[in-house]
Amino acid sequence: MKASTIVVAIAVIFIATAIYYLENKAPNTHPVEFTAPFVFGRFNVPDNNPLTQESVLLGRRLFYDPILSRNHQVSCATCHKQALAFTDGLKTSVGVSGIPLKFNAMSLVNLMWGPQHFFWDGRVSSLEAQAIEPIKHVNEMARNIKQLLMELNNDEDYKKLFKQAYGEISEQSITKALANFQRTLISANSRYDQYLRGEISLTPIENQGRKLFMAHPDTKVILRGGNCIDCHSQFLTSGFASKFDGFSNNGLDNDETLQAGLFTLTQNEAHRGLFKAPTLRNIAVTAPYMHDGRFTTLEQVLAHYNGGIKRSKTLSPLIIEADNIAKTQIDHISLNLNDNEITAIIAFLHTLTDDEFLTNSAFSNPFMAASDDD
Amino acid sequence: MTKSSKNTVNMSTVNKKIVLGGILLLALMLVVVSILLRPAPQDLTLRFHPFVGDKPLRLNTQSYKNPGGEGEFTIRDFQLFISNIVLSFPTNPIYEQESYHLLRFDGKNTFGQLVIPKINLSNLSQLSFGIGIDPKANGSLMFSGDLDPNSRMAWNWQVGYKFLLLEGTLTVNNQQLPLVYHIGFDESYSELNFDLAKEDMTGNGVINFKIDLRRLFQSSDTDSKQLTNLKPANKVEYMDMSEIPHVKFSPDDVKAIAAGFHDFISLCDLSPRREFSPCH
Repeated sequence: MKASTIVVAIAVIFIATAIYYLENKAPNTHPVEFTAPFVFGRFNVPDNNPLTQESVLLGRRLFYDPILSRNHQVSCATCHKQALAFTDGLKTSVGVSGIPLKFNAMSLVNLMWGPQHFFWDGRVSSLEAQAIEPIKHVNEMARNIKQLLMELNNDEDYKKLFKQAYGEISEQSITKALANFQRTLISANSRYDQYLRGEISLTPIENQGRKLFMAHPDTKVILRGGNCIDCHSQFLTSGFASKFDGFSNNGLDNDETLQAGLFTLTQNEAHRGLFKAPTLRNIAVTAPYMHDGRFTTLEQVLAHYNGGIKRSKTLSPLIIEADNIAKTQIDHISLNLNDNEITAIIAFLHTLTDDEFLTNSAFSNPFMAASDDD
Repeated sequence: MTKSSKNTVNMSTVNKKIVLGGILLLALMLVVVSILLRPAPQDLTLRFHPFVGDKPLRLNTQSYKNPGGEGEFTIRDFQLFISNIVLSFPTNPIYEQESYHLLRFDGKNTFGQLVIPKINLSNLSQLSFGIGIDPKANGSLMFSGDLDPNSRMAWNWQVGYKFLLLEGTLTVNNQQLPLVYHIGFDESYSELNFDLAKEDMTGNGVINFKIDLRRLFQSSDTDSKQLTNLKPANKVEYMDMSEIPHVKFSPDDVKAIAAGFHDFISLCDLSPRREFSPCH
């Protein structure tokens, strides 16, 4: 009697342990293998979200699935279209409410490098934290997370994909998967990249534009410059990664109309009106420009820096000071580039277009790919 | 008798055992004590307190007198590369690896600092480091220490790094003039040496330095840098910022500002009896 009780008890414990182990065992995942130019530099992936093939597969499906929105009509890809380097071509984006948002959709590219503060005002500091905001935002996807989790749990495909990637369906695993898919969006085969690798030469006008891009003008040594490099790093062409070095007030508004920008996050008056310097990769296909999409062409952007700058308290001294004519006038801020130089800079900006990135099937809509196969 | 003699023999054996055991125990204690007393490696912190003359640097909010002219200026950002740190001891010196540190002054603290972990600090007699980036690293695309060709301190791969970045605004008669000092070039790389006395390092391994930004604007009409080094602060003549508000690529201007690299960092004198460079 006593012995049989012990045997039964041991058996029960053994079975319970086995069930617990099988249920909670970490999923068997495979790391993503990818390459990036060494000149992009170091990058970090959060320890609690390793870049696995399973998470990217799941993230890609979620990115393209309108299930993330309340009315099942808006997905991430609604505002981030691959052909437009994951922008939407609108002045500011429109979600489920139909009310235009405050900001222009940012291009999603090379996100592991450059500033690790996301959104134009830098208000979150990881891709995981970024991913949940549009899903919940009343004007973007307006999704009730409990309801979303319920619907995902009723979907056999998602149940399987989540299990393989993270073991469970949860808010955290949704944002982790979306973050990891976006981490794989690497653009490194533009004509500029090919030039850096020594594979091609740029045309004379593109090369003139490259030199202007990379130079802060200095009339004392007759160095002409477009001053782009003061905010856009030489290889990534994004803002700078360290602290808030990637944020700048580039003279879009005067003090009366200056928006909060980075001040939203830091509550530091010196940060009022500072916005994230975006990557310029694929810039030729990501119009309109600036955080509020106010400029429709690159010509307008260059015209802004060439005489359209508005003064405000936090305007970058680098912008005020940068001038290709020895400073004679204090009031009018301009790079004073000539027409030929403006054409050259725009020609260089076109070398940042990466057609392979814009058409890479690994980044495309997986639902479309499935129906193409049928 | 036999019994008693046997007892004596036993006693002496026991005594021997006790003595032997005592010696062993004592030896063990000596070993333990010597291990405990051996100086433990600790972190060395080089802490830099930025000043403009005698006023502590406060970004954006505090204004300072134009060192050699009219008006007042504010600083919105100040960053500086410290590199190739060498720690000298009576025995072998320690060369820090990947020794490229970007000092920033926009954090929560008023000072900028760098930490060299796990060093045996006893008998540290001399410290030297470079201001800027040595020519070899400056001409490369390597990612080492804080070097990053995609950072704000990089110009482009043909020009190298800014060693010092100082940006702000000079206001003269209600006119605002942007101040931009981006000081680089191989020729500007400067090595500084500091002889250390015991009191220069705090118990928790911190060495305090003062950075005096005003020293960057001392007039270099004296041909020898050593001369200015010997001059007390009140005898130094300074430049008018409005006459040299931007320094980027003009070699003469870069040289004029970088000449101050030799003088603008000094050990803090924390003891009240000393006269120069207090840090608090």
